Amino acid sequence: MSDLIKLLDGGDEPRIGIYTIPVFKTSNEIKPHHLARGGDGIEENISPFTFTPQRIRLDKDDESFEDGDVHRHLYLQDLAATLAEDFQAPKVSEFKCHIAGCRQLFDTLEGYEHHYNSLHRHVCSSCKRSFPSNHLLDIHILEWHDALFQVMAEKQCMYQCLVEGCGLKFRTSKERKDHLIKTHSYPSDFRFDKSKNKSRIKEKTPQQKDVCMVDPSSVLSGELENSNSMDISLPQMSENKELVLPKQQKPHYSYKVPSSVCFGQGSVRGFRGGRRKK
Amino acid sequence: MWRLKAVRHRASRSAKDLEEFKHKRREHEKALRQARRDRQLISKRVLLNEDEEQEKDVMETDGAPVSPDQIREMIRSVQYGGEERDTHLAMLRKTLRDPQTHLIFTKVENSMYVLVGQLSGHNAQCQLQAAHCLQELSQSPHLGVGQACLAATPYLLTYLSSPSTKLTELCLYILGNLWPDGALVREKLLAQGIVTALANCIQNQRFNLAVVEAVGFTLSQLLQEKDVADKVIPLVMASGLVPHLISFLTPDPEFGLGPAIECAWCLHYLMSCDVDTSALLNHGVISHCSNLLITLGGATAKGSAEEGLELLIWPLLRCLGNLLATEVYEGAGCPVGVEDARLLVALCVFSQAYLSSHSALTRESLWVLNNLTADSPVFCSAMLFFNLVPHLLQLLPFSKGINSMVLRILGNIACKGAEYCVQLTYAGLLPALSATLRMADPDVVTLSLEVLHLLSTCSPQVAEEFGRLNIVPLLEAIKYYNEKEQCVRASYILDCYFHKHPMVDHQS
Repeated sequence: MSDLIKLLDGGDEPRIGIYTIPVFKTSNEIKPHHLARGGDGIEENISPFTFTPQRIRLDKDDESFEDGDVHRHLYLQDLAATLAEDFQAPKVSEFKCHIAGCRQLFDTLEGYEHHYNSLHRHVCSSCKRSFPSNHLLDIHILEWHDALFQVMAEKQCMYQCLVEGCGLKFRTSKERKDHLIKTHSYPSDFRFDKSKNKSRIKEKTPQQKDVCMVDPSSVLSGELENSNSMDISLPQMSENKELVLPKQQKPHYSYKVPSSVCFGQGSVRGFRGGRRKK
Repeated sequence: MWRLKAVRHRASRSAKDLEEFKHKRREHEKALRQARRDRQLISKRVLLNEDEEQEKDVMETDGAPVSPDQIREMIRSVQYGGEERDTHLAMLRKTLRDPQTHLIFTKVENSMYVLVGQLSGHNAQCQLQAAHCLQELSQSPHLGVGQACLAATPYLLTYLSSPSTKLTELCLYILGNLWPDGALVREKLLAQGIVTALANCIQNQRFNLAVVEAVGFTLSQLLQEKDVADKVIPLVMASGLVPHLISFLTPDPEFGLGPAIECAWCLHYLMSCDVDTSALLNHGVISHCSNLLITLGGATAKGSAEEGLELLIWPLLRCLGNLLATEVYEGAGCPVGVEDARLLVALCVFSQAYLSSHSALTRESLWVLNNLTADSPVFCSAMLFFNLVPHLLQLLPFSKGINSMVLRILGNIACKGAEYCVQLTYAGLLPALSATLRMADPDVVTLSLEVLHLLSTCSPQVAEEFGRLNIVPLLEAIKYYNEKEQCVRASYILDCYFHKHPMVDHQS
């Protein structure tokens, strides 16, 4: 408050005349129904904004005056005393997660942001799993939801190391896991590299609002892979009640494959047979 | 007398006493809040007398209520007591400290007659003691007691012009306490000329601040009562009381805040009625209030504010706030009377200083700021000139009307145009908005969207900032999942500034 003190305790010329303040140029006075700025739209959009500056008058009995009146009357009745915790502390606004189905409330912005970043940020729109980072989400989509992946994995090293910046790739997920343990000192039960068959709970067909590829009911809904999964098998799986934003900013390989190309259920089923790679 | 000092003394006697005090306070507070909601908020003032402290310890309480016979006996000894009358009256006064005795007293025949007789008699000591007795009776919550005291009122009013200031003071408090005791009492007192008597009293006794405080209290009781407002207010306005009230707003450093507090609350009650405020404005209320608030703001900022100062700040804020709302502004949006721009600074000081102890005061300071800045390029520029916006932004986390009022002030400033928006952006408004957009309160979200829209129309760089602060996905979320009010606004902002596709009519 020191800057305010300086202003109020101005020494020789304390008073600051209101007419000595430089006034900024006013412009663009916003009218409530100004026309929209869009160029190519022919229709005029009536602005839904209604705010106008208003001087507010409050009646003596207005409920917002309650605290002050009560304080005044406590004083009259000889009961006002700052030492007696006569305090009306302020209440802090809560934050609300705006994602439908979530609606959680938070006391702090940090709490809200942590929640949002953990649960709503890097979410796979196919299977709704949530990942702690872009990198892991990318890898997940690639290995789970990309039909091309399995094909290519036959011939090349496709399993990327989970550690960002490492860049090494492996023929099988087991090799990757060994690498993680040996080179990066990861624990053998790293939760983002669990064996899919153990950790996978019964997959329910995720609701797909947007067209992924071919028919949503088919393989792409997570039955393609027999590789190790890297989902977050967090406790949130059971309490996971949130839906995901229908649109992710992520590039999804699955979106890129044209629907005319059919990898077919046949070919996939072949992979699903459990033919394990070395 | 300045009461807070006395209260502190009483409450600090022992830990047990303090606990009892706090408990009593909580109970009373609950009752007051309920009374206010029922529009029946009245208080009677308990007079603290210097000798009361010692007497309290001495007084024996055997618990048994006084019988009518004992009262009868006391009255008889007063009536026929001769030289000893004042002693007997003192005994009676002590007895009457117990509120249970009040009804009994009024039922005993001749009791009031004798008391009034002593009040109007020639013996000054007896007069005072009789007045003390009446003062105890006037504090009674029983309406019947108040009405019984009507017999005394012509004398009480007469003694407002008495040269004995102690007697005058007592009479004033009795009248102030009697006023809430029913329509009949009020009717009588008005007919007996209470308003004129008060005006004369404050005029004649203007150098005695204890009397001024008492006049202020009594007048505040008159003005708070809604039923007779249409009778009382014109009388008060015509009586010449208002200039006196204004002159006593500035507290006397030696005497204390008491008189200033009472006069300020009177002005607030006057201001917030549907009274023709032009008369008040002619008396320079706005300029007086604002200059005083600046002085008090300085003291608050330096930490040298007296205890209980908020009791004075509160009604001053309300006076000013309501006057600004009814005032006609001159050219560049400047009300007559606010000449010193430091008022804005003082208001910011109050809003921060009282945030943790009296958050409603924070809200009311912001309300006055809103009324100053609405439609006023001068005050909006001053807010920027003094760099007050960061102080406002610090208040955004707080609810119960605080953050929504801050957003209104910011909207007032942004409405003035591009240069104002630019300054607001420099002050860090956008990151603050990205937080308020995430809040649970729908009004806060709506207001935030309004401000965001104002900023966006003024400056294309703002749109770039949005991207950096990740506001776009937030707007998307609001657009899909919030209520209609916020949804249409979020859609509009997105369409206007972020999505380069043709306009869609969102009204359908």
